[in-house]
Amino acid sequence: MKSRSYAYWVVIISLFLAYLLAIVPLPDWAMNWRPQWVLMFVFYWTMALPYRVGLGFAWAAGLLLDVLEGTMLGLNALTLLIVAYVTLSLHQRLRMYNPIQQSGLLFILALVALGLSHWLRVISGQIEPVDSMYLLAAFSSAAIWPALFSLLRSLRRGFINN
Amino acid sequence: MFADSRFDYLHSVRFFLSYTATPVYWVADMPARTSELFDDVFVSHSDLLAENERLNNELLLAQRELQVLASLASENSRLRAVSEAVRIVEGEVLAAEIVNRSPDRASKRVLINRGALQGVFVGQAMLAADGLMGQVVEVMPRSSWVLLVSDPLHVTPVEVNRNGERALARGMRGAADELELEFVTQTQDVRAGDLLVSSGMGQIFPKNFPVADVISVNNDPGQDFAVIKARPRAEINSTRHVMLLIPPSVDEMPVPDAEAPSSEVQP
Repeated sequence: MKSRSYAYWVVIISLFLAYLLAIVPLPDWAMNWRPQWVLMFVFYWTMALPYRVGLGFAWAAGLLLDVLEGTMLGLNALTLLIVAYVTLSLHQRLRMYNPIQQSGLLFILALVALGLSHWLRVISGQIEPVDSMYLLAAFSSAAIWPALFSLLRSLRRGFINN
Repeated sequence: MFADSRFDYLHSVRFFLSYTATPVYWVADMPARTSELFDDVFVSHSDLLAENERLNNELLLAQRELQVLASLASENSRLRAVSEAVRIVEGEVLAAEIVNRSPDRASKRVLINRGALQGVFVGQAMLAADGLMGQVVEVMPRSSWVLLVSDPLHVTPVEVNRNGERALARGMRGAADELELEFVTQTQDVRAGDLLVSSGMGQIFPKNFPVADVISVNNDPGQDFAVIKARPRAEINSTRHVMLLIPPSVDEMPVPDAEAPSSEVQP
């Protein structure tokens, strides 16, 4: 019983960290390279704890990110929902992969999420279309994934015993 | 998502969700505040003296310019009494600080640390010391999003200070923090180096506040309009301290004098 309540706190606090990293101001050249922190954290937790962290969690996390970034309500909620759905349906296979292979899937998911959110904002008139440099964030997310994975795994093993 | 962008009823939902966002903003701004604190605490005596001297010099200069401005203002008010033009709205300001910027490069927006609880409203004009910055587009309890003049979706009604030619300044697409004057014919008199001030049309920005300097004018005979670029006066990427304009309430609004001579011909 105790570990269950622990689990939620660990997930929520780690997500708070992801939000911080997602909105902390960066210099201009680094803006396009900012990894998709919240997406990566949702990816990890849905893969590691699929019975506790599910679609509703991803949706709520995305909604809060929308509020933080000042985008339309539901934009990041939708992209994170897609990410969580794919991860949930593949989580057993993903756990067998090594981190490099996982970052391959993460790369594709981040690419889809970035492209979809940019596209939706353009057709809803929130931004003017720009060059495709914003997709670079998918590369940096995939590159940083193995390190983040081992970090989060040790965090999970320290606090949560399934 | 569609509902949020098209209808109004989700604004209250968004507003309440924003309460949860406040601690995140607060923590994210900590490094900047800490460095300011350290700047304040660890500063040497000689630095303070030097700064004091510099500020005194600036004050003197500013006072001299104020004298010139005062004479201009009196002349201006005499002229305006005749022409009954739009009055400069001399409202009060609310000091604010920029605490964050949009994580998305496609939209040039900044977050300020004043919100609905301090009386900020959508459409409020934001000014920096040296020029116009933008307008408030979204209000949260303790913070608000401001669309900068350099955003491609922001259009500022401006006029050339030298001769009063009017134009619309739209933010440039792409990374450059520049403005583009739209629909200026090739025969209109706009030159590089001209100062663009806000024209007060659109009723959002105060009249005659500096906006940008024209940096290039390109008259291509093949184009319908001249291609004119301008650079914002305000240092959009480095300013932290800004002002929000509080318009005078309705009963304080200047009423046009009834006895002022009207030269307009009624149709």
